[in-house]
Amino acid sequence: MSVRIRQVWDRLFTVLCSGSVGLLIAVLLLFLVPMIVKGGKAVFFRQTVEFRKMQRDLFGRGDLDSLHEAIARTGQARQEVLARIEQFGRGIDTKLLSDEAKDAYRKYGLELRYREVSREEYSRLRAAAKDIRDNFLAALDSTEEAAANRFLDQVDLHRDSPEFQATAVETFFTLSKQYRRILDEMDLAHREEYAAELDIVKTELRNLLGPLPGESTPPLPQDRFGATRWDVAKKHLHYLLYQTKWVPGDSGDGRLVKKEIRRDDPEAGLFAGTELAPLFSMMEKNLERMLEPEWTVYGRYFLDDSTSGHYFGGVGPEILGTLVLTVLSMCFAVPLGVLSAAYLVEYAGDNIAVRVIRTCINTLAGVPSIVYGLFGLAFFVLIVGRPCILSASLTLALLALPVIIRASEEAIRAVPQSYKEASMALGSGKFRTFLTVTLPAAGPGILTGLILSLSRAAGETAPILFAGAVALGPIPDLGLKFRWLFQPTRALSYGCYDITVGDRLAMRVPHNQFGMVFTLILLVLCLNIAAILIRSRMSKKLQGM
Amino acid sequence: MKKRSDHSMQTDAAAGFSRPLRLSAGQDLRGYLTGRAARTLLFITAFVSVAAVLLIFVFVVREAVPFFKSTDAAASLSRLKEFLTRTQWFPEHEAHPEYGVLAIIVGSLYVTVVSLLIAVPIGLLAAVFLSDIASFKVRQICKPVIEILAAIPSVAYGVFAVMVAAPWLQKHLGFTTGTNALNASLILSIMALPTILSVAEDSLSAVGRDIRQASYGLGATRAETMIRVVIPAAGSGILAAVILGMMRAIGETMVVWMASGNAAQIPSPWWDLSQSVRTMTATIAGELGEVPKGTTHYHSLFAIGFLLLIFTFTLNLISESFLSRVKRRQR
Repeated sequence: MSVRIRQVWDRLFTVLCSGSVGLLIAVLLLFLVPMIVKGGKAVFFRQTVEFRKMQRDLFGRGDLDSLHEAIARTGQARQEVLARIEQFGRGIDTKLLSDEAKDAYRKYGLELRYREVSREEYSRLRAAAKDIRDNFLAALDSTEEAAANRFLDQVDLHRDSPEFQATAVETFFTLSKQYRRILDEMDLAHREEYAAELDIVKTELRNLLGPLPGESTPPLPQDRFGATRWDVAKKHLHYLLYQTKWVPGDSGDGRLVKKEIRRDDPEAGLFAGTELAPLFSMMEKNLERMLEPEWTVYGRYFLDDSTSGHYFGGVGPEILGTLVLTVLSMCFAVPLGVLSAAYLVEYAGDNIAVRVIRTCINTLAGVPSIVYGLFGLAFFVLIVGRPCILSASLTLALLALPVIIRASEEAIRAVPQSYKEASMALGSGKFRTFLTVTLPAAGPGILTGLILSLSRAAGETAPILFAGAVALGPIPDLGLKFRWLFQPTRALSYGCYDITVGDRLAMRVPHNQFGMVFTLILLVLCLNIAAILIRSRMSKKLQGM
Repeated sequence: MKKRSDHSMQTDAAAGFSRPLRLSAGQDLRGYLTGRAARTLLFITAFVSVAAVLLIFVFVVREAVPFFKSTDAAASLSRLKEFLTRTQWFPEHEAHPEYGVLAIIVGSLYVTVVSLLIAVPIGLLAAVFLSDIASFKVRQICKPVIEILAAIPSVAYGVFAVMVAAPWLQKHLGFTTGTNALNASLILSIMALPTILSVAEDSLSAVGRDIRQASYGLGATRAETMIRVVIPAAGSGILAAVILGMMRAIGETMVVWMASGNAAQIPSPWWDLSQSVRTMTATIAGELGEVPKGTTHYHSLFAIGFLLLIFTFTLNLISESFLSRVKRRQR
């Protein structure tokens, strides 16, 4: 091979090698950046007045006076929109109008009864009123504009007759006037379509502004408030403004393409030219005044309990559960791990027993985490009696054991032989030397291992799937005579799984889905960075700096 | 072991030393017994991990055996054969439940092999970079990055696969579903990389300087030295790295459960990565929560767990033998 080619190949090799490390760093960033940016939105976001209402109602915090002021301000901004949607709804949903018509007829009957009229007069007027009512209802039912107008003409015939002046029958005339106006603007043939779209518009309005006036308070907390966050509000505003339609594409092969049409678009929009049309531009223009968004740091996210499906609130119980599980598992694993490591370093020679022990530790480290889950179910749950914190943390302890043993072994090995020799020379035995000299000297190293296995245990999901983690449950009541040991608990890792693929409701709040993962990653990262810092300080100390 | 029988130690030099250097018989015995007791205690604690491995095997087998148990040995054997060779996995079928685990094993191996195909070259090249190319400073920066990559919980990777990677794949590569073999393999390769990288780097560093210098002295470039000399010399350690990465990938649960699509089928054509597969771990994780205890389905899941245990145990023994070869060479 010529020298030139060899040189090029050498360069290429170097580039490839550094490129793969660069790729690794890029992968890490590619993973961390979206997770942290999206998850951070659970904590840093623009809150709306609905968020403040929710915090007040569900968590009882926030200043009531300023909240009332804000509600009054936003209420004013919302007034016109809400009035408009109600008005338009009457035209589409004829049930309201027909109910009013029937009501007026009934009222007129009562009025007649209290008036001094003869029997014939009574039945004549009553029949006339009935005629008006039937005509009006027929107008409501007819699907053609001409026919509807004809019926309305019949109604209006009586408008000027003096006998109905100042009676309940006059209601019919105002109703007919209203309905005429609706007929002018609306194509009756599309009434069904209008009704369907109006339903969507109403749902989106509810999503934005909370329950519409006149509706009762919904039982589920997630329906009680409008858009609590500005990013969510903008999403719903888009749904409100645009209608998605599947239309034949330009390619001409009959494939449908998705197209978004603005609902008040003068040419294609369904609501163009109707009374509702101004609502959309109004919403677009005034949404900020209706919701009053402002930047906020929702620090209580890490402490708050959540409503069902993590729709509102934070990850407090999950963090608590994870901490309890991991700390308890460390209580089991650390003494065992450190003592095992002490045996392997200080006492064990190279015999069969030690080799078996080492093989077993390696095997333990290699056992898939789901098999730990199986074992936890088949053994610890069997012993303890039910899936609970105790069985879950025992399972995690077993998982963390090999990590701790290896780390402690390394740390103990790193203690200079001279320390031990000095202690021995002073007459203390092997075990005493270990307890009073080696262990303190190896302390930081063991601590590093402990922190790393803590972070591993905090992130493991598969072992606790069947051993005591639940997605929804009461917060363990710590303190109560160790009863909490026998309760199941929520945990961050299991919560992350559940909120992403298990919970339908949570899928509507991606910021909370990412927020939980963000919390878990943050926890693990903090633990790891702490471990890295401790280790670097230690290595400096060993170098005598 | 520390009997002080030497009387000549007792001299006036220790006049200022208040404690008598000579131990009484009782003290001596006590010291001896404490030492023995401590030794025994430590041995017992060290034996806990052995006990744990035994317990894991015993209890997983105990729950798996009823699945194969039948009227006689021949029937049990045919049951086992059916379990391992059939591809139909319909444990919840009312009339004819089927427990053929072959498609699931193939699924596990499939994502594992694909992820290794991605992870091994990258991991090996990166290991070469860290052991032979990078300066001390660069290494100091790269190490924590790799540690963090290894520390990120698998469920977080799973969420990434479902919520970020899957929509991206679906949008840009035109797959019908984003949760498929490719997605799972990509994420698994990220998870296996740190393991492969660190073990491979250790074994590359274990190859002596003299070998490298001999190669350079003969006029070889760095690329030639690494490829022709150092990597072959570190061969068994690198194989161990690959096997450890494989164990990591085959035992991983949350990522494959969330990202692989969980369809119990053998991909056909075999190279079609856009198809959904199902792995052993995902089958256990997905179904164990819902089956009543003591049913055939329940025991069949433990049988899968036992298979998994055997897989990893074997791989572990192989990697250990490779690593011990590396260690022997170091000495």
